[in-house]
Amino acid sequence: MARSLWNGTISVGLINVPIKLYSATESKTVHFRQVHLEDGEKIEHRRFCSAEDREVAYEEVVKGFEVGDDEYVVLEKDELAAAAGDRTHVVELERFVEADAIDPVFYDRTYYAGAGEKGADAYRLLHDALERTGRAGLGRFTFHNREYLAAVRSHDGVLALHTMRFADEVVPAKSVKFSAPGRKPRDREIEMAGKLVDSLHERFDPDKRKDEYREAVLDMIKRKAAGKPPRKPKEQPPEEAPDLMAALEASLA
Amino acid sequence: MARSLWTGSLSFGLVNVPVALYSAVRDHDLHFHQLHEKDAARIDIRRFCAKEDEEVPLEEIGHAYELENGKTVVVTDEDLEAVAPRKTRTIDIEAFVDLADIDPIYFDHPYFLAPTGDSEGPRRAYQLLVEAMGRTERVALGRFVMRTKEYLVAIRVRDGRLALTTMRFGDEVRPSKGIDTGGRKPSKQQLDHAVALIDALSTDWDPTEWKDRYRERLQDVIARKRKGKRISAPKPEKAPSPVPDLMAALERSLAEATGKGQAGNGAGRSGDLADLSREELYERAQEADVPGRSSMSKDELVKTLSRR
Repeated sequence: MARSLWNGTISVGLINVPIKLYSATESKTVHFRQVHLEDGEKIEHRRFCSAEDREVAYEEVVKGFEVGDDEYVVLEKDELAAAAGDRTHVVELERFVEADAIDPVFYDRTYYAGAGEKGADAYRLLHDALERTGRAGLGRFTFHNREYLAAVRSHDGVLALHTMRFADEVVPAKSVKFSAPGRKPRDREIEMAGKLVDSLHERFDPDKRKDEYREAVLDMIKRKAAGKPPRKPKEQPPEEAPDLMAALEASLA
Repeated sequence: MARSLWTGSLSFGLVNVPVALYSAVRDHDLHFHQLHEKDAARIDIRRFCAKEDEEVPLEEIGHAYELENGKTVVVTDEDLEAVAPRKTRTIDIEAFVDLADIDPIYFDHPYFLAPTGDSEGPRRAYQLLVEAMGRTERVALGRFVMRTKEYLVAIRVRDGRLALTTMRFGDEVRPSKGIDTGGRKPSKQQLDHAVALIDALSTDWDPTEWKDRYRERLQDVIARKRKGKRISAPKPEKAPSPVPDLMAALERSLAEATGKGQAGNGAGRSGDLADLSREELYERAQEADVPGRSSMSKDELVKTLSRR
């Protein structure tokens, strides 16, 4: 098991559940590092003072919030900690809601919470109760000096903790404006489209679709390292459909 | 309306709908700059060759991939172009699945799709998809390319619009196997009590009830600092210890939760400030405009508020 990112307690009423948090996701996007093309050496990012034109040690760098033109308020570590609040190691689940009622747009990052050293029975109890009710507990979670809204639910036999987007961070659908079509789609068209949707229906299987782009990039790198020429790309121009109904019928044919 | 991030067409069978992509989230975070402590001048990042110890202009910088054997392979823009997916202007719908089958763990960044152009056909085709998918809570799975990277996406109906979300691939979600799942299975009585406690604390999901108090506190800290006030870090809290008797703790929690329910949240208003959480106290301090509230501990907030 990888090292835990955060150790603390989830509390519900007077029940304390010690937990350890682990990242539930990892990006597998191919990452490159910067190199100097002349000699293939690593590029280093160095900090320079823009006024003095000289390199500055990390210890001399502070965080400043711009309040006016070139006017900054510098915040020290303690001051940033003050904004984080004092509940740095407890996620108090204040409310519970139907997990299915939360639109997925609110979920941000996901962590797995494993049982801590003590209170393992309480962990099992919370997990089983959340699983039985299908509810998610909501509370505040402080991580790296920042407070998040968190949702805790049962997932795949463990507790999952999601950081959540706040309501004002989610763009309302109404703000996406476009004019409605002059004529609504006919029932027959909706029925045809529904048939097409049904004909392409399958059960969601996360492992079925691979990151083909990642595979292509890694393949290209391997070929290049072995001195092989790149593969020829395939081309497929998209087709234009003339008439909606005809296109739908052709799709189903 | 914000600027679109991508335009292209949504391809559904043989129907192509010209669409534009918009972000469905906005950033309200307060952003900081790195400054030199001594003179409060901005920090610039400059790129240096590690070997030559000399600054390198951007034109001389390339990308390299580190192989498992430690060797690096330089990858040029042309190399990447050669493997770039061809269909850079189309979102291809491959299949439809049920929304309830996709665990939210797979959803990454949310966007909206809107039809583009003035012609009637595409807008009607967009509307057709909204109606056909919305009725059955179906989600379209497809792929599309944005800024050279190919994404797996889910498209579903949200409030009469097509909402697109980039997805994590199956191997980007870690297995939960190996996570410590705790101790003994609870007894039926314990589980019933825990469920009753959750029921007592349950409400409808209303995202607007939850404010980003971190953002508010940070703004408060910045404002106070600007006025030259001192801000100190809160004292670290003591880790709560696990309760020795789960059943007794459940019973007491349940009694408190149901008691609170009957009093209708009025407990704090009439009575003891000490019963409120620090967050509730902080909110009151905000209403009362108590100076220095963001750096006060719970006890200090109780003391200050009770004096008013």
